[in-house]
Amino acid sequence: MSALLKLKKINLKYQTGKENISVLKDIDLIIKKKETVSVVGESGSGKTSLIMLIGGLERPTSGKIIFQDQEITNINEDEVSEIRKKNIGIIFQSFYLIPNYTAFENVALTLELNKFKNPEKEAKLLLERFGLKHRFNNLPSQLSGGEQQRVAIARAIAMKPELILADEPTGNLDTENSIMISDILFEYVKEEGSSLIMVTHDPKLANKAKRKIKIKDGKIK
Amino acid sequence: MEKLNNPSEFNLIFKYALKDLSRNYQKISSIIVTLFISLFILSAIFTIEDSLKKELNDNAKVLLGGDLEIDYNRNQGNLDLVNKVKEFATISQMIEFSTMLSTTGRTKNKSLFTRIKTVDEKYPLYGEIIYEPEGAYERIQKEPNTILINESLSKTLNIKINEKVKVQDQNFTVIGFIKSVPDVSGFVAFGDWALAGKQTLEILKLNGIGSFLNYEYKVKFNSNDDPEKIEKRIQNIFKDDQKVKLRYPKNSASGLKRIINNFSQFLSLVSISAMLIAGIGIANTLLSFINQNNMSIAVRKAIGFYSGNIKTLYYLQLLILLFIITVISYGSSFLIVPVADKYLSDGLGLNVYPAFSFINFIKIFLVGLLVLIIFSIPTISSIDQVKASNLFRNVFQNLQFYYSKRSIALSFILLSILVLLFTIGSEKPSYSLGYFGAFFICLIVFFLLSKLIIFFLKKFKSSSNISLKVSIKNITQTKSITPITIMSLGLGVTLLLTLAMVGTNFQREIAKSIPDIAPDYFFVGIQKGEREKFEQGVLDMDPKANIEIVPMVSSGIVKINGVNPNTYIKPDNDSYWVIGSERRSSWVENVPEDNPILKGEWWDLSNPNQLQISLDAKVAKDFNIELGDIFTLNIYGREIDGKIVNFREVDYRDLSINFAMLFNPQFAKNIPHEYLATAKFNNTDQFDETQMLEILPSLSMIKISDYLNKVTAVLNKVFIAVTLISAVTIVIGLIVISSAIMVQGKVKEYQNLVFKILGFSKKEIIFSSIIEFLLIFFSVILIAIFFAVIGSKFIMENIFELVWKFDLKVLFNLGLSIGIVTLILIMLTNLKYLNPKVYPLIRNQ
Repeated sequence: MSALLKLKKINLKYQTGKENISVLKDIDLIIKKKETVSVVGESGSGKTSLIMLIGGLERPTSGKIIFQDQEITNINEDEVSEIRKKNIGIIFQSFYLIPNYTAFENVALTLELNKFKNPEKEAKLLLERFGLKHRFNNLPSQLSGGEQQRVAIARAIAMKPELILADEPTGNLDTENSIMISDILFEYVKEEGSSLIMVTHDPKLANKAKRKIKIKDGKIK
Repeated sequence: MEKLNNPSEFNLIFKYALKDLSRNYQKISSIIVTLFISLFILSAIFTIEDSLKKELNDNAKVLLGGDLEIDYNRNQGNLDLVNKVKEFATISQMIEFSTMLSTTGRTKNKSLFTRIKTVDEKYPLYGEIIYEPEGAYERIQKEPNTILINESLSKTLNIKINEKVKVQDQNFTVIGFIKSVPDVSGFVAFGDWALAGKQTLEILKLNGIGSFLNYEYKVKFNSNDDPEKIEKRIQNIFKDDQKVKLRYPKNSASGLKRIINNFSQFLSLVSISAMLIAGIGIANTLLSFINQNNMSIAVRKAIGFYSGNIKTLYYLQLLILLFIITVISYGSSFLIVPVADKYLSDGLGLNVYPAFSFINFIKIFLVGLLVLIIFSIPTISSIDQVKASNLFRNVFQNLQFYYSKRSIALSFILLSILVLLFTIGSEKPSYSLGYFGAFFICLIVFFLLSKLIIFFLKKFKSSSNISLKVSIKNITQTKSITPITIMSLGLGVTLLLTLAMVGTNFQREIAKSIPDIAPDYFFVGIQKGEREKFEQGVLDMDPKANIEIVPMVSSGIVKINGVNPNTYIKPDNDSYWVIGSERRSSWVENVPEDNPILKGEWWDLSNPNQLQISLDAKVAKDFNIELGDIFTLNIYGREIDGKIVNFREVDYRDLSINFAMLFNPQFAKNIPHEYLATAKFNNTDQFDETQMLEILPSLSMIKISDYLNKVTAVLNKVFIAVTLISAVTIVIGLIVISSAIMVQGKVKEYQNLVFKILGFSKKEIIFSSIIEFLLIFFSVILIAIFFAVIGSKFIMENIFELVWKFDLKVLFNLGLSIGIVTLILIMLTNLKYLNPKVYPLIRNQ
């Protein structure tokens, strides 16, 4: 399998007052196409920072990020948005659905943004696939946590991204819903051939991935 | 799945803008309300002004009374020339004069100074007279000694139809009431007046200046003739006649137009101020709204929306909102027109109808757009600060106004366009420019004040009172809303106080009694041989009456320094009246007590054969006249050169005898003249007007209190407009203040939650809010009072030309009321943040 993503000597530092905090140190990482990777580590080890960098939501202090053979480290925000829009789907621990959009509209928004010909139809198909046919027109506040996360996954995978970034996707869910969500996610990447980078504290979920990366004090162990 | 090849990104954003707007309109209801109120007021002012101007323009011929007017002022004029015009056009002759009209046959008869218009059978050439009963108008032409009176006169003197009234020594029968005449442009529009047949003039003894005689010939062209050619032909006929003034429809009601322009300029400027203050409120509400949507914006960025697209989304929502609100507010403004029509038809005899103007609509939309964009630039630019990465961190990012060099430059350009839009084409551009200048100076001063307050409070650390500590921390914290609160509160309070002071000064002017110096009566039409008779008549009724009597002569300014006086002044100038028609002038030995000399010397006694002129200083300034300049005056057909020797300060508002021009008595005493007199009675009841008329039948008497009542009626209408617009500003100001609090809503909620967890009592939280308000309000109110005093003084004295007085009691009461209302509003707005629910906040829901 060829490489989808390469991180070369990535460092991330934050300036807080006069103090420099080194969050990530000399990270070298290659993610292959269709690969599933879990990222584990203690709180504050730099897991979330790593996927923020990969998603182009943060810029590294030094080093290079190459996505699909294109260096994205120094391109402008709009160009990063363009890459993210087409190729990267993000799933958050707190779901982050747009509160005044229905489940269906939250998914359709991504499709419309990517100029799909029939976004409404696609959005409905996706929600049906995740067992949410009866929830099309419900607002996020009318959905359970598990349902909200299923809508969030549908939104993230709507344009069939090459890479899915998931930050503690089951962190806010009970055991039953956690199992359902992880099953949906892994089934999807298997079927569609996407790559998955997933941050998690759940060892069972972490073990579902082909590769497990442990981060400690900003370094890959 | 197929992707669209060329779908317009704009369409997508537009679609989502509509969707978001339809779902979020409740959250931005304060934007909708402030925008509607301010645009509605602006629309109402524009619509009424436009309807009025349209009415004046559409009916220019009706208002003038013909296609052209030949005005000979107080002379009959050259009838040969008039007859030449009759050869190719229809002419209607009319003569207006003022005299006393008295009731007869009552135990106590009453008299009133009345303007009488005598007309011939051809009157009116355009428009119609509305009167009752049917046939009454036709009768005044056929039956001598009949008269029609207006409703005001019938009410004041309680005259019924068929009652006899006395004009000079003649009895007339009132055969009907007139509701309106069409040609109001040159005629008294309100007050007491009557209409009579052309033979009336022959019956009465009318003398020159005392009767304020005015001869006019209204001309109607034949429908087949080319108006321009006929106008030129008539100009040619009268080209050598210096006494005539030709008037055209385009100049009709020019005085009325000037009043309308002045008043609408004042109202427009106040309304744009209200809009600019509303703009601050809009910026606050929008920031609060964007903060509420912080997460949605971050999500949009996370799924690939560009920051620019998201900003466009918000701008589009505002644009759609603005368009809808402009349509509604402009449409609603037509509902005001019938109200204005009621006032105007009662007062001026004009009827206004709603008239749609596309240009006005665009202008209102443009003003709204400019204000909206200027104030939303720093707010919507804050979207750039939203980071999608925050979604991973569960952090709440409280957005602040964001200024870049580019956005500041753009705001400045848009603001300049807005200022120019209101300045160019206004009646007095310099006033508009000055007004905007003052507005922005206020804005800067309040901004600096906020910085000063923060600076001093940061130094103040020695308090042990926890509520005080919290309130000081709130005011001085980084990114606090103190500057925006002080600016919006300061501007709102300043405008409120200014308008309130203008309003109370108006009220005082309306309610105040006659100025101390003012006499009880003015008497005109005392002929040279009647002086003693007059004085004796007055003193017989009240021996202690104080009589002032001065000679009076009528003269017209023909030339200034040898050239046409029209080259010295524009017709829209306040002092144009000096050359507009013949003026009454007088002569006195000594400097009048209430007319101090500002420049030059009193009469040069060594030069008694030279006409010397003492001129009103304001007139001199407006005409750009210097001492030593020469006025060529036409006095009884003779042209006499007079030298300007001094300038006097004349205040016509004291209602004593005042003249724009005074002559040196050494020269003027031999000019044929009559007298003007005033009398101040020991007891006004002792003076009987009817008895006085028996002594001097051609005497005209003007009772000052009657005159003031008429002025009061007009001022009352102006006061209503000022009060209404003040009320609107109050509403907008309150919305702005509450929006400023809403901006920090979420932060306040978090803060109160932390306080709750730490064990703060509700009382302590409320108390800290009160202290925070008081610290800000007391600093703001002092500066606001300062600006309001300057602003209201300028408006009263320069725009309305009325007396301004400082009233500490009014200011104190107003300041206190504004303070209490604002505090209640702040407490009410803060109330919802007092009981934060712990769970959703802790879980970031």
